[in-house]
Amino acid sequence: MIPTALILRSRASGVSKDAPERTGPSFETRSAIAPQDEGYGSGKAFWLATALISLLLTAATAEEIKPGSAFLSASMQRQQEDEARNPGWLWVEQGEELFSRREGAAPTCISCHTDPKQSLRGAAARHPQVDAASGKLINLEGRIEQCRVDRQKQPAFGYESQELLGLTAYVASLSKGVPLTVSAEGAAKPYYETGKAFYDRRQGQLNLACTQCHDGLVGQKLRGDTISYGIGTGYPAYRLEWNGLGSLHRRLRACSLGVRATQFDYGSDEYLALELYLAVRAKGLALEAPGLRR
Amino acid sequence: MASFNARITMPAEARAGEIVEIRVLVRHPMDRGGQVDSEGRVVPRKILNRLTVTYAGEPVFRYDMHTGVSANPFVSFTTRAVETGDLTFEWREDGGATFTRTARLVVT
Repeated sequence: MIPTALILRSRASGVSKDAPERTGPSFETRSAIAPQDEGYGSGKAFWLATALISLLLTAATAEEIKPGSAFLSASMQRQQEDEARNPGWLWVEQGEELFSRREGAAPTCISCHTDPKQSLRGAAARHPQVDAASGKLINLEGRIEQCRVDRQKQPAFGYESQELLGLTAYVASLSKGVPLTVSAEGAAKPYYETGKAFYDRRQGQLNLACTQCHDGLVGQKLRGDTISYGIGTGYPAYRLEWNGLGSLHRRLRACSLGVRATQFDYGSDEYLALELYLAVRAKGLALEAPGLRR
Repeated sequence: MASFNARITMPAEARAGEIVEIRVLVRHPMDRGGQVDSEGRVVPRKILNRLTVTYAGEPVFRYDMHTGVSANPFVSFTTRAVETGDLTFEWREDGGATFTRTARLVVT
């Protein structure tokens, strides 16, 4: 038992310093149960056990973050990677079509972004980011809408519309396999802090913080599904539950509803900040949109 | 409602006598009927109820779909490559609308 703990501990200390600390509030409550228990005999044995447990827990929380697809069954993992069978590619196709569709006198997307396979590769891996012009945090959906309204002079599609989902899925698919490089420094720092605070704050009638499940209970079951590290590298994703493609914000709204907390609007500041925090958490992980999720 | 869209995946060419796998994914909500939409109206049943495939004019595959088939259904089947020709896929929707796509198989 002890050698295993030591090995795990050494792996945990190997994690780089800039990785955000992930210590869930639930762990203190667990180790606080034991002191009243006289059955442990000598205090020495108790402290040894506590130390061992806390070592194991630290090791577990500092483990490397895995993408959401790692928690799918093998057959669903294969389906996600198979462009013939992953229905998310239907939306990618729609987006690709919209990308070069002409509407009135407005320039098409492709007339500026020529050769999108090259020029837009990696774009999705850098979002959300702070928009230089407005100083506001903007995600990929917001960037596409901004382009449409400001440059194409067309009415916005609207968050979660099939058109915007299609375009987002298409642009995100161009970065498939690219590691996330979202920055939490400079202008993004306050948004990152807000997002982190949101992630660590208990909320809703169930009084749960994101971290309690998505760090503390990863790999365990929640109803029929396996709890994963809360990161959005697969979004926009095709969820079997939705029978369609949905954005990360739709997924976040489902989580908010699950803990009976306030559901924020699509594209709200709260979810944008959280999206940034999740993207920074997932730094270095490959983008896998369009993902396939249960 | 999202537009109908089909992704047909199959080899572009095959040797005569070879077995080719044809995979078809379509975008369709497959409304089973009876559900209530956000305005309180009952959604009528509207599904793709049949997929027929002909190869160089000969029927090679037919699939009758019912309400238990999921949205955006995926179908996979095999056929033997005999001659160069078009595979014509026809989906029939409730209400009589049909959607047709073709893909060419070159036999060498």
